[in-house]
Amino acid sequence: MTKGSKARDNFVVFPLGKKRFALSAEYVSELSRQREHGEEEQQTFPHTTRLLTGVVLRRNQIVPVADIASALIGPEVPERKFYLIVNLSVRGKVNRAAVPVTGECELAEAERLPVSGKLPPYVSGLLSLNDEIVEVLDLERLMSAEVRA
Amino acid sequence: MSVSRSRISDKSTPRPGETVILFSVAGAKFAIAASAVDEIRDLAGLQKFWSGAVQQKFAKVKQTLERQGQRYFVVDACEHFHLAAARSSRLLILRHASAALAVDAIDCMLELNSIQALPRAFSGEERNWYRGLALVEGRVIPVVRPESFLSKAEVTLIEASVRGREAGGRTVARA
Repeated sequence: MTKGSKARDNFVVFPLGKKRFALSAEYVSELSRQREHGEEEQQTFPHTTRLLTGVVLRRNQIVPVADIASALIGPEVPERKFYLIVNLSVRGKVNRAAVPVTGECELAEAERLPVSGKLPPYVSGLLSLNDEIVEVLDLERLMSAEVRA
Repeated sequence: MSVSRSRISDKSTPRPGETVILFSVAGAKFAIAASAVDEIRDLAGLQKFWSGAVQQKFAKVKQTLERQGQRYFVVDACEHFHLAAARSSRLLILRHASAALAVDAIDCMLELNSIQALPRAFSGEERNWYRGLALVEGRVIPVVRPESFLSKAEVTLIEASVRGREAGGRTVARA
């Protein structure tokens, strides 16, 4: 990086409804397609954790599904056929979670701009991509107790 | 139906080759260590339970069972897991305390080779409910922690409340 140049990071940008959101690429380990042919891949069991809707199996590991769409865009959630498998730090340990997305994901290199104005606490930065401002999500914060309604 | 088993030492830590009983409640399946269950029986002999002040805290305890001269407090598994109404048909008599669990059905007994830890992203009541998750023919089944239904201390608290109420009733009757 030359003197005066801004640090640019990689982000995975994904659409949810009419907006796009970004996650730091360092937290994303894979984008995987959900099973097709009507198979119900996500499995559920009773629990009380907000945003978690069930679990999926990935490489014989049980991965919780964090459906963040309702928290970000409300109840009108589009059909999603992919999972972004992300690494979350929970109580000091790294855990994987599957975030349902539509699949139209894009890897973008951009400068993370500081948050301006009144934005939710789970927005950790902003990206200026062409004519669009994209919110960078702090997934751990989004799922943490502090921002629970 | 009444299936009794001899008492063997109960350990709560996950171990390979552990025999579990699969049961269902309101369509959800669960596993419980076979060593944590003293008897599986039908619902005959249940009595309605009302214990006043503790009832709110232990709303999931709706019935009692007199068994071998001892009173067992019956936990409605449906209420415990906040599930929609179930149709209980079986009782699991638990070994760690004078507690029993009313469930819809017993599915089978099987041996688990491994139990995976509950992913840390789960942070609600389920951290107390489950010891971990088991994979049974591609299906994820939570393995329950028997003490989460009613701990020994909670049973003691309910018994004390019941005794207090019974003693109060006798005093009023004498007066």
